Amino acid sequence: MSNSRHALFTLAAILALVPGTTRLIAHHSFAMFDTANPITISGVVTAFEWTNPHVYIEVDVPDGQATKHWAIELGSPSILMRGGWKFSTIKKGDKITAVVSPLRNGEPGSLLNRITLADGRVLGNGGPAGIGPGTPPPASAPAR
Amino acid sequence: MIVLCALVVASPAAAQTQSRPSLTGVWAPFGAGRGADPAVAPPPAGPVVLKPAYAKDYLAQRAADAEATKRGEPPASAAVACAPYGMPRMMAVASYPVEILETPGQFTIIAEAFSEVRRVFMGQSQLPIDEVPPGYYGHSVGRWDGETLVIDTVGIKESIPGYQNMPHSDQMRITERLRLVTADVLHDQITIDDPIVLEKPVVYTLAYRRMRDYKMVEFVCDNNREYVDEKGRVRMRLGSGGR
Repeated sequence: MSNSRHALFTLAAILALVPGTTRLIAHHSFAMFDTANPITISGVVTAFEWTNPHVYIEVDVPDGQATKHWAIELGSPSILMRGGWKFSTIKKGDKITAVVSPLRNGEPGSLLNRITLADGRVLGNGGPAGIGPGTPPPASAPAR
Repeated sequence: MIVLCALVVASPAAAQTQSRPSLTGVWAPFGAGRGADPAVAPPPAGPVVLKPAYAKDYLAQRAADAEATKRGEPPASAAVACAPYGMPRMMAVASYPVEILETPGQFTIIAEAFSEVRRVFMGQSQLPIDEVPPGYYGHSVGRWDGETLVIDTVGIKESIPGYQNMPHSDQMRITERLRLVTADVLHDQITIDDPIVLEKPVVYTLAYRRMRDYKMVEFVCDNNREYVDEKGRVRMRLGSGGR
């Protein structure tokens, strides 16, 4: 998840409760993820689910002699498309490296910060900087 | 002669229609935080002041929710289960846009998040509240006040969380005033009045920027991994792993 995307949801969740500030609200709080302590995981994609309310990447990550499986939560297709994602950006079998915020409860689930794709491209978890509160999105934000 | 009379009768109305701004289009909400252009940013919101009978529980719940979130155990909301937001919250969900469509006698407002739809009937009288079946969007009627579209909404179900999760009664009335601040910036001033719950009306403004050429994206909530555990906390369900 890009910092801007994380800031969007965090701010949206907080500011929704503060009189005199923005009234944007989010689908749910992201407090279950430890955003202050991101980790990096690399592995092979076993599924890419282009769905609502969130997109998910499933990854097998080598862990010594074994494999540990991780689920990575992203934004929604709408938000991701504004950040350069497509439904076909990732395919099963792709090798990826992702910086993620893991679940606080220790389970192998996480929230994406940013990802390096098999072809070397780096994508965040949402639209470009400027989508968040205080800075209007670009007037034209076509799906790419 | 008949044709001439028809033209004479029709032209004032036609001229009035032409002077009204077109709100048709896709609009993305934005807030008033750092970096906002003060010329188009929404003005500060007014406070939520509940009657004493409701204020204590409301403030206690907000404090408990804030504390739980701080612990990393965010409390559940209806949205976690993909339930629609309803009015008025559907008008600003994160940065998801709303699409406004004007057709003869009606405005239709579609929120991209959760594909919520509301309809505003123009030139009609509002129904008595007790004749509107309580729902997520209620019954909305609209009229033009100069270049401002004024929408009156009643009939929002009491169980639907209100603005800032405030409680409301079946007597809640929502008045919106939509006007173009610039050609590409729209403001929706929302006034919530509830003689049973509120000490005084709550007033806040949503701001939107036009998204030219944007095609609304479908939003069908068919893969929701968030769930609420036995303690009311939001959790993430781990998937099958695609294997």
